[in-house]
Amino acid sequence: MSVFYFVAFLSIFFALMTIFTKNPVHSVLYLVITFFTFTVHYILLNAQFLAVVNFIVYMGAIMVLFLFVLMLLNLNKDTEPLKSNLVKFMGVIAGMCLLVTLAASFRLLQISDPVVLKNPDIGLVSNLGKVLFSDFLLPFEISSILLLTAMVGAVLLAKNDPKKV
Amino acid sequence: MSAIITLSLLAILVLYLGLFKARRALLPVSLLGLVATVVLYGVQWGKTAEPLYSGMVLFDHFAVVFSVVCVILTILVLLLSKDYFDKSSPHVAEYYALLLFSLTGAVLVVSFHNLAMLFIGIEIMSVALYILAGIRKKDFASNEAALKYFLMGAYSTGFLLFGIALLYGASGSFDLAAIKEYVVSNPQGISPLFYAGILLLIVSLAFKLGAAPFHFWTPDVYDGSPILITIFMATVVKTAAIAGFLRLFYFCFIPLQDFWVPVLLVMTIITLFVGNLTAIVQQSVKRMLAYSSISHAGYLLFAIVAIGATSANSVLFYVTAYSLSTIIGFGSLILVKRATGSEHFEAFNGLAKKNPYLSLAIAIAMLSLAGIPLTAGFVGKFMMFSGVLADYQVLLVVLAVINAAMGIFYYFRVIVAMYFKPLDRDAIVVSGPYRVVFFLAALITLLLGVYPAWLTGLI
Repeated sequence: MSVFYFVAFLSIFFALMTIFTKNPVHSVLYLVITFFTFTVHYILLNAQFLAVVNFIVYMGAIMVLFLFVLMLLNLNKDTEPLKSNLVKFMGVIAGMCLLVTLAASFRLLQISDPVVLKNPDIGLVSNLGKVLFSDFLLPFEISSILLLTAMVGAVLLAKNDPKKV
Repeated sequence: MSAIITLSLLAILVLYLGLFKARRALLPVSLLGLVATVVLYGVQWGKTAEPLYSGMVLFDHFAVVFSVVCVILTILVLLLSKDYFDKSSPHVAEYYALLLFSLTGAVLVVSFHNLAMLFIGIEIMSVALYILAGIRKKDFASNEAALKYFLMGAYSTGFLLFGIALLYGASGSFDLAAIKEYVVSNPQGISPLFYAGILLLIVSLAFKLGAAPFHFWTPDVYDGSPILITIFMATVVKTAAIAGFLRLFYFCFIPLQDFWVPVLLVMTIITLFVGNLTAIVQQSVKRMLAYSSISHAGYLLFAIVAIGATSANSVLFYVTAYSLSTIIGFGSLILVKRATGSEHFEAFNGLAKKNPYLSLAIAIAMLSLAGIPLTAGFVGKFMMFSGVLADYQVLLVVLAVINAAMGIFYYFRVIVAMYFKPLDRDAIVVSGPYRVVFFLAALITLLLGVYPAWLTGLI
């Protein structure tokens, strides 16, 4: 339990650091650490597949890509868009409303027995695979259309138009 | 199910046709495939529907009717696409394929029976559109539209996922039947997580529908995208979004009406006023139609505010009427823009003298959007209002009537420009497919206005 609280504290801390740092590169690095703490959470929950995927795909691939893009963009103070105080104010109010709603609904929850899972191995790769290929076969297959769409779109947007002959 | 397989295979076939440079075959093949899909759905009609693939999809009458509407609207959009894409870019096959993929997503959204399918359907539909909004790579507005739609859409997907996760946390299942079972069997002990989940789902679905206060992307995206893509977004995507919205709430959340109806009621009123008040001050017809589509999203939400057995029928009727008129409105805008290079109201000046039939079709469309009797739009509004009145929401109807009056004002600006502002201009050439589409859409609008019973008894 104490491990959980420690890791939870770290995730919240680094998530806040992501928002509050001025430097975008630092911000991304903090986000990487936040994702790493999520990975630890998944391991604590015995969801090994999620942990590995989160580690490799999110932390490894996507965030590093993100970092490269940010460095290539060369952001600095001058290019930062100015937001009026009104917009900031509205943003704070809207965000706080969401926070209050969620916090209130979580607060009303009764705490169930936290450690007892019906099947503690539910997050293991073999169980996940069984569910994916039996109950969730259709969404699993249809995801291929989603990926194909994204692929076609990426190529379409990135490709140079050939000169008209 | 065979219809979904047909659609996906059709899109892949179109991609291959593009690979082998068979450009002339693209449009006929796509249309043929879509017609085949409609036929496959027709065969399914009347059979008792059961959830397929461990409860993932359910092709009941609701799903079949809305899918057929989506497919037919896509057929009309594709007919308008003849000669439209050829000028801008050589990748026509990819555009058709993306439209078909997006349609596949829309069909999944209207026939889901499991929240996982809802999510994947919405994603397929949107991802294809993010790209289609930005296919004019040299056009700054198109880039802006694509980026804005993508960022906001990705954000709203987060809300959708979080909402689904909370529903799962409370009820222990993604399956609609199981969630309904959970709601019905614990009238007192519904977890607070469930309520938060409903709110988050409302946020994300209202975003896809373009209802206020989640409408901020709509005008810029509709304005910046190529007009043909705007037609697709304003008709097929809106149909799918409202149908998915209704399906989820009608299936699962009716016992919790007291909780979410006030939320939707406020959103509906805001949507109506935002859409109509901003549409009045627009100078560009494209932007006017974009804002009017927001206000129509508000009218569509009426059916969910007064949710009941008749909601599906009124949504079906309203969305059909609205989509047909929108196709005429934006379709004629393609022609006018091609001829004059402008999207402003002035570009329509004096159109009636030179193109009497085109002007008549536009006039019918505008009258239908405004809800004048003898058009489908009137019957649609009538069904929506009477559904809400049966629920004793008198205030909402009064506000809606005020808004309908505002709507008449800006729709009539187009008609006034065409008929009463004489201007010497050349006649616009209306090519064959455009004639067919305008004729069909106007004819159906009038027929449904006179014989509404053809559509109302379907679901």
